[in-house]
Amino acid sequence: MEVTMDPLFLAWSYFRRRKFQKCSDICTKVLGDSPYDQESDSPLLISEAAWSLKTRALTEMVYIDEVEVDHEGIAEMMLDESSIAQVARPGTSLRLPGTSQGGGPSPAVRPMTQSGRPITGFVRPSTQSGRPGTMEQAIKTPRTAHTARPVTSSSGRFVRLGTASMLTNLDGPFINLSRLNLTKYAQKPSMSKTLFDYIFHHENDVKNALDFAALATEHAQFKDWWWKVQLGKCYYRLGLHREAEKQFRSALNHQEMVDTYLYLAKVYQRLDQPITALNLFKQGLDHFPGEATLLTGIARIHEEMNNIVSATEYYKDVLKQDNTHVEAIACIGSNHFYTDQSEIALRFYRRLLQMGVYNCQLYNNLGLCCFYAQQYDMTLSSFERALALVSNDEEQSDVWYNLGHVAVGIGDLTLAYQCFKLALAFNNDHAEAYNNLAVLELRKGRVEQSKAFLQTAASLAPHMYEPHFNLATLAEKMGDLQSSYAAALKAEDAFPEHVDTQQILKILRQHFAEL
Amino acid sequence: MSLFKARDWWATVLGEGEEFDQGCLCVGDVDNSGTGLDKIVVGSYMGMLRIFLPHPSKPSEVSEADAQLLEVHLRDPIIQVELGKFVSCSELLHLAVLHPRKLSVYAVSGMAGNVEHGDQYQLRLVYEHNLQRTACNMTYGPFGGVTGHHFICIQSMDGMLMFFEQESYAFGRFLPGFLLPGPLCYCAHTDTFITVSSARQVESYRYETLAVATDADTRQEGEQQSKSAGKRLQADWTLILGEGALDIVIPSFSPSAHSIFVLGERNLYCLKDNGQIRFMKKLEYNSSCFLPYAAVGEGTTNVLMANYNNMLLVYQDVTLKWAAQLSCVPVAVRVANFQELKGLVVTLSSEGHLQCSYMGTDPSFFTAPKVEAREVNYEEVDTEMRTLQKIIRETTKTQDILPRADMEDELIITASVSTDLDAVSQALLPEINGATVPSVTVQIKVKSRSVVQNPKMTVCVQPPLAVSQDQFGLDSLGGGGGSQAVVTFSAYLNGLYPPADLTGDVAVSYSSPTELNPAGVPRVTQCKFSLPLRLVCSPAAPLKNAKYKITVDTNKPPVNLHQVFPDFAVKSDDKEGGALAFRFITGSSVSVLASKSSQRYRIQSESFEDMWLIAKELVQRFDGHFAKQGVKDFRNSFAGPIPLSEYFEIVELHFELRVNAEKYQDLLSERAVQFRAIQRRLLTRFKDKTPAPLQNLDTLLEGTYRQVIALADAAEENRANLHQAFASLRSATHLVIMLVSLWQGLGIDQTAILEATLLPLLQDTPQLGWEESVDAAVSHLLRTCLSRSSKDQATSLTTEQLSMPKDTARLKKHITLLCDRLGKGGRLSLTSEANVPTPVMMPAVRA
Repeated sequence: MEVTMDPLFLAWSYFRRRKFQKCSDICTKVLGDSPYDQESDSPLLISEAAWSLKTRALTEMVYIDEVEVDHEGIAEMMLDESSIAQVARPGTSLRLPGTSQGGGPSPAVRPMTQSGRPITGFVRPSTQSGRPGTMEQAIKTPRTAHTARPVTSSSGRFVRLGTASMLTNLDGPFINLSRLNLTKYAQKPSMSKTLFDYIFHHENDVKNALDFAALATEHAQFKDWWWKVQLGKCYYRLGLHREAEKQFRSALNHQEMVDTYLYLAKVYQRLDQPITALNLFKQGLDHFPGEATLLTGIARIHEEMNNIVSATEYYKDVLKQDNTHVEAIACIGSNHFYTDQSEIALRFYRRLLQMGVYNCQLYNNLGLCCFYAQQYDMTLSSFERALALVSNDEEQSDVWYNLGHVAVGIGDLTLAYQCFKLALAFNNDHAEAYNNLAVLELRKGRVEQSKAFLQTAASLAPHMYEPHFNLATLAEKMGDLQSSYAAALKAEDAFPEHVDTQQILKILRQHFAEL
Repeated sequence: MSLFKARDWWATVLGEGEEFDQGCLCVGDVDNSGTGLDKIVVGSYMGMLRIFLPHPSKPSEVSEADAQLLEVHLRDPIIQVELGKFVSCSELLHLAVLHPRKLSVYAVSGMAGNVEHGDQYQLRLVYEHNLQRTACNMTYGPFGGVTGHHFICIQSMDGMLMFFEQESYAFGRFLPGFLLPGPLCYCAHTDTFITVSSARQVESYRYETLAVATDADTRQEGEQQSKSAGKRLQADWTLILGEGALDIVIPSFSPSAHSIFVLGERNLYCLKDNGQIRFMKKLEYNSSCFLPYAAVGEGTTNVLMANYNNMLLVYQDVTLKWAAQLSCVPVAVRVANFQELKGLVVTLSSEGHLQCSYMGTDPSFFTAPKVEAREVNYEEVDTEMRTLQKIIRETTKTQDILPRADMEDELIITASVSTDLDAVSQALLPEINGATVPSVTVQIKVKSRSVVQNPKMTVCVQPPLAVSQDQFGLDSLGGGGGSQAVVTFSAYLNGLYPPADLTGDVAVSYSSPTELNPAGVPRVTQCKFSLPLRLVCSPAAPLKNAKYKITVDTNKPPVNLHQVFPDFAVKSDDKEGGALAFRFITGSSVSVLASKSSQRYRIQSESFEDMWLIAKELVQRFDGHFAKQGVKDFRNSFAGPIPLSEYFEIVELHFELRVNAEKYQDLLSERAVQFRAIQRRLLTRFKDKTPAPLQNLDTLLEGTYRQVIALADAAEENRANLHQAFASLRSATHLVIMLVSLWQGLGIDQTAILEATLLPLLQDTPQLGWEESVDAAVSHLLRTCLSRSSKDQATSLTTEQLSMPKDTARLKKHITLLCDRLGKGGRLSLTSEANVPTPVMMPAVRA
């Protein structure tokens, strides 16, 4: 019952139904029948259309929303010269997170990431990156990120999560960028945007994309907001944040768009001006009331600035607009967990489960919540499921680490010991596991082992205060006051309000004064 | 991600391997039955046209055939189906079917059947248009404001809008700047056509403008003509979206607010009819189709939205109101009214799943698959657990994260002191007080089990003892069991006073290479050896009387001293071995007398400190002797009192020498200052251009120089004396410690504390001397564990700068007090100090 159809129509239909591979295949065939010469002046309409459609299909296959892409490359981090204030006023900078100005939980309750922000309930790009102080720290892997090394932003294509974007073309690239007459295409409004998307997203050739966008916006007599946004995106990728800001601002003058607000706020966040970003989001909300992405942006900034209470408020607003918002549910859940309301957190996580989120992390969190809510029967089965669902070694080690915690909680130190050992077997960078193993070793009376573990933990995660503090305690007990003092100072650095550290420092200072 | 799933009311699968897209679904009263009930019309790319009248399936009915009213194969692919008043002089609804090259309008009619099989439906072609160009999609409406009729506008793949006024073709116009077709929609309110062009902008064309623009048959021609004639087709308004659009819908239900809904690839836009954005929503998923279906309240519109995550979402403007799970991804969605149920959601998927569903609180409970459930056999599990535990225990013994420090040293040092003195003495001092100084050979064997690099050996004995060589550089030892190095040297006395200690230390430093560290890890191994008593003393005739006496009690019958000291047995007439004498090379002698009746032994000598070596040797040899005989409960004891006055004499002597040393130090610096002053004077004199008389300054310089030299000599002598005094002080202190521990029967640990208290230094210096450090230690003990009551126990140390005391009275008092307290049963311990355990932190982390 095969019925012949116009191939271009079919390709167009496939494109609309997001069957890009089929669409691309048909377009290739059409182009093979009537080749489209990039150089010629009067191409046939049909081949031009097929060429454009294939470009779109190829772009769409690898497309990721640029708003969500925020890998700060190592070069940008280290060679950033646009620093504004080394010592920012508290609450105005993301680099020096003001501690608990919003009454959020202290690091004693809620662990911190390497950059000193509270661990959030939702893994997204850029939450992990932070701005390292030294090159060494930059090269060191943040534990929760999945890549072994920090990405360099200009290398390679941004991999769309969950899909393999290995598009191999047997006969070379589809469009030969170096032979492309950018000026000619910039004057064709029906093709230029498609082509730009291809250059930017598929080829990831930001410099050519920038040239192209500059030509196109000139052709549009600087009246097309879209080209300004694209220029801004290119500038942002190239690290020219002020130029990007100018373009986005100009685009907003032409046409208010949600995406433009998001891009501009991203620029301000990169420029370390969270307050400006917040104002901008609020301005955006005036035009687009109830826009969930804008609300989420506000909530994220509040969360990164350790203002957990406001963050939760905004996440709740997000849920009012979109009650299936996974990030908001997860963040509110984790906030409840860290404020000792594990029963409520459990409800949020259960909701996620009912909504069909089915992964290792969720079961991991469910297990912990069950444990702290004293639903012991569910704890182990949750962790069992988490273990069954692990997709990589980091997750596995996290599950074992949490199991170790549970074992410590029920007093089964042998099991705890073995769990922490397993956590380390799967991920030997797991600083928390080293620390806890050290505590267990100390209980067994093996001081040297314990000390070695603590030192490892401290060197792996200098942002955690626990290994430093434990090391200080241990060294003080052993009479090594100098090391104890050094470690205690580091612990104070990581967590200035920690009372026990203060006490140890006080005792040590007294000792030194007496000498 | 939804909590609920859409409840199926009726569902079917159309054909096999057929394809459907956006335009293939249409809902309406296609047969004009007048009941107001909707039928579903579905066309496929394979040319099948089907009409359904769904009704809830009763459990008894298996076949769904009676829901299907009609199925026709039309031979050409069906791109779009629409219902409208397409036939002139008829108000009835007709079905327009768009094929790629043809537009057909059909009338559908049903007649009541005669038999129970139901009604019969027929499709009748009313008219058809053959198309010059490949069609893409179409829209219909009362173009130009006609009433009671619907005209049709077809967009071709190459961008021509073809207008059909029912049975007749009206005109065709090319859209400017066209590349690929976008969705097309007619807005009746403003009489405009809305489309999203390849330039990614919404364009609106007035019907009038289209109608009056120059007619064109070909694209090029049209463009040229429009240029020349000046009637270029221009859009009424445009709005740049920056993205392609999937669909445009202009809902007709809310006449007050005319909105144009555009579903973009990433956003949903609601536009006013002049092209301004009323609101927009950023979509965080890829949507497949949408339908604004109703207005709830003033100015708000409800939108049905389907996405590629199998979700059906209901938005009220931008707020999500409901989310339901679907079983497949729909490409078209409509709302229809059926027999009992109004407002059912009709969805059609690309593969032909046609579903009528409604929202319900049917939970889409996601049931997690079971984790590999295995039948628990407790016995088996227990045995498995046991074996696993065993393996774990064994592996933890052999391997760990950290390399375990080897329990056995890689290097074994054994020191053997030859039993005989050297035939030819190696001593530097040939004789002291007329007695020859003997030497003894010590042999050190270094054995290694593994590779050892650059071993260096250091030998250390306490002065006045000395060794012939105290540093040895050894060759690197290879692995294997047999590699060893042997080193010999001689030890001898090199001073005019007896030593306080006959033991010596050997330390070997080496590096043991590992796989990763070829340079090796530096390590040290130590070994002790003890020199024989014969090295410092020789047998002599016992003395009957002496100044200092110590009596050691035992609990066993007396033994022959000659048996205990075979190396000192003199061939004499004293067969019972009741007396024995030791004569130190340095001159003094010590006698040991055994009581014939009681179990006592007396050590007596002219000097108190010399008794230490002998007493220690005696106690040690007794222990060894009785242990050899198999006596287990042998005990030495001392009746007391501790000979503190004798001890204090030595302390006094030592202290006096220290005071002298200080005095000499002061004098020396004074004289040195004087010497320098004279030198300065002389220098100025010599530098003076007019020579002046020296005024005996040279004599003064000479005299001062002599004084300095004499003082330095005296200080030097004092220093040697101080060393000797310190050695004797150490001997005496050792003796006192031994006596105290014998007296009170102190254990090893308490003796160690006492030793640490009374002998804190190996050498004393002008800055930190024995007296003040012992005083500090003793007073600390007195204040903590030996305090009168636990209340008096000081909790923290009061530390102050240690300095040389003015006299020894305080020290003596404290030591006496210490002996008193010990005599009264005080216990020495260090645990009474407040050791408050500090909590250790464990962080909580989560994935």
